[in-house]
Amino acid sequence: MRGLLAIYQKELISYFRSPIAYFVVSVFLLGTGYFFLYNVFLTGIGTMNDTLQNMGVLLLIVVPVITMRLFSGEYTGRTIELLMTLPLKPSQIVLGKYLGATTILLLMTLATCIDLIPLYLYGTPETKTILSGYIGFVLLGMASLAIGQFFSALTQNQIVAALITVPVLLVFWFIGHLQSFQSSYALRGLLGYLSFALQFGDFIRGLVRSEAVGFYLIVTAIALTLNTSYLQWRR
Amino acid sequence: MIALESVSKRYGPKTIIHDVSFDVGQGEIVGFLGPNGAGKTTTMRMIAGYTTATSGRVTVAGLDMATQNEAAARKIGYVPEHPPLYDVLDVSMYLRFVAKVKGVRPREIAADLERVVGACRLEAVFRSEIYKLSKGYRQRLGLAQALLGKPEVLLLDEPTAGLDPGQIQETREVIRAFGEKHTVLLSTHILPEVTLICQRVAIIDQGRLLAIDSPSGLQAASEQTNSVILEATAPVDSLRQELLSIEGVNAVRVQPMPGRSSTHSADCQVDARDGIEARIARAVASRWELHRLERQQPTLENVFLRYVGAGTRARER
Repeated sequence: MRGLLAIYQKELISYFRSPIAYFVVSVFLLGTGYFFLYNVFLTGIGTMNDTLQNMGVLLLIVVPVITMRLFSGEYTGRTIELLMTLPLKPSQIVLGKYLGATTILLLMTLATCIDLIPLYLYGTPETKTILSGYIGFVLLGMASLAIGQFFSALTQNQIVAALITVPVLLVFWFIGHLQSFQSSYALRGLLGYLSFALQFGDFIRGLVRSEAVGFYLIVTAIALTLNTSYLQWRR
Repeated sequence: MIALESVSKRYGPKTIIHDVSFDVGQGEIVGFLGPNGAGKTTTMRMIAGYTTATSGRVTVAGLDMATQNEAAARKIGYVPEHPPLYDVLDVSMYLRFVAKVKGVRPREIAADLERVVGACRLEAVFRSEIYKLSKGYRQRLGLAQALLGKPEVLLLDEPTAGLDPGQIQETREVIRAFGEKHTVLLSTHILPEVTLICQRVAIIDQGRLLAIDSPSGLQAASEQTNSVILEATAPVDSLRQELLSIEGVNAVRVQPMPGRSSTHSADCQVDARDGIEARIARAVASRWELHRLERQQPTLENVFLRYVGAGTRARER
C-alpha cells in the first residue's frame, strides 16, 4: 500500500512540475468554456447536456496527452529499471500511475463546475441530471485513461502512444453508429453496449444505469489488468 | 548471498547468457569483468530482478528472483548502468520517493537520506533539480538511491563510468566501506578498479563465464604461458635457433631493435618452470652480448585479454 501511495505521490508531483498538466487542464477548460458559452448563451437553453457531450469529445484529445508519458516516459528515462527492481508489484505501479492520472481528471472536472454558477444564477437546471452527467463523464474519463495508459506501456515513444490511443478511443466513441448497418439484433446490442457515446448519452439524460456504470468499470479493469500483465511479461 | 545456478537467458532465438554459475558470499566484493556486450548488464539485471532467467535459478539472500523478487528487492540496492533518475524531481524528492517505496519508516526517512547524501557527497545539490545535475552527480545520486533502506546486497553496473578521478576515488571508498559488512557485485571494464577493491573477479565474454578467482589467483594461473623478453646483439636466425633449443621455451618471436642494426629483441613464450630466465640468460650470454632480460609479470589486463581472446578463438574454430 505504501509503495502504491509513493508512486501516486511521485506521479502527482511529476504532473505539476512539468508543463503538461497545466497545458492540458487549460486547453480542456478553454474548450469547455467555449462550448458552454455557445450551448447556453447562444441557444438560451439552461442545461449542461450539450456541454457535457462536448466535454466527452474533448477527452479524445486530452486523455492521450495525459497518458502518453505514463510508461513511455519511464522507458525512455530508463527509470522503469528502478521501478521494476524496487519492492513493488507491477499492479502497484499500474494502479499508482492510474490514480495519479485519475486525480488530474477529477481536478479538471471539478474546475468545470465554475460553469454551474451562471447556470444556477440565470436558469433553473435539474441538479440530478447534472450530477448524473458528471458521474458519466468521470467514468468515461476513467475508462479512457486506463486505455491510454495501457498503450503507453506498449511503446517507448510517447508520440506513438498518443497516436495509438486517439484512434482506439475514436472507435469506442463512434462504434455505436455502426448499429444502423446491422440487421442482427445481437450485434446491434453489442455495438450499442461497446459505444462510449451511447453509454454516456444515458448519463447525460439523467439516467444512471448500473449496466452503464459496470461497462465503464469493466473496460477500466480490463485495460489495467492487461497493463499489469504486460509489465509482468516484459520481465 | 548471491547465487546463480546454470543460468541462461535467451531473447527469441538468440542466447545472451550461456549456463552461468557462480556465487558471491556475505562481506565479499566481486568484480564482474568483461568487454562491452559480454552480458554483464543482462546478468546484473537478472540478479536485480529486472528480467528473469530463461533457465536456471538466481537467488539473492536465499530468495528466488523468479518467484520472490518483491521480498528480495528489499535486500538489494541496484545501480543500473544508466542512473534511473526522474529529471522533473529534485534530489530530495527523488530520494524520499525511493525511501518510501523501499519501506523506510516515515520517522527514519530524514536520517536515512542524510546518511546516503553524506556518503555520496550530495549535500551541495540536495535541493537541485535532477535535470541540472552534472554527470558525476547523476552517477552518485544513482548510488545514493541504492544505499537507501540499508540493503544487504549492492549491485553496481559500471558505477564509476563518467566520474572524474577524485569522484572515482570517493565512490570506491563508499563501495569498499559497504563491502566490509555486506555483499557487492560490481561490473566494470576498468581493470584497476577490480584489483583495487575486489576480492574475487569473474570474467565473462559473449555470455559465458570464463573464470572466477581472486585477482592474484588469476594472475598466478596465467603465469604458465608467461613471456621472457630479452635484447641481444646477435644474428636473427641463430638467436632464434638457440632460444628454441632451450628446454621450456615454446615459441620465440625475434624483432630488430629500431636504430640498432645488429641488436634484436626476442619475446619467448616459456613454461612456468623455475630458473628458465637463468637458463636463457646463460645460453645467450655465452655466445653473444646480452643487454637486457626480464620476465614479464602478468597484469590483470593480460589475464583478461588472454581469457577473452581464448574464448573468442575457441568459438571461431
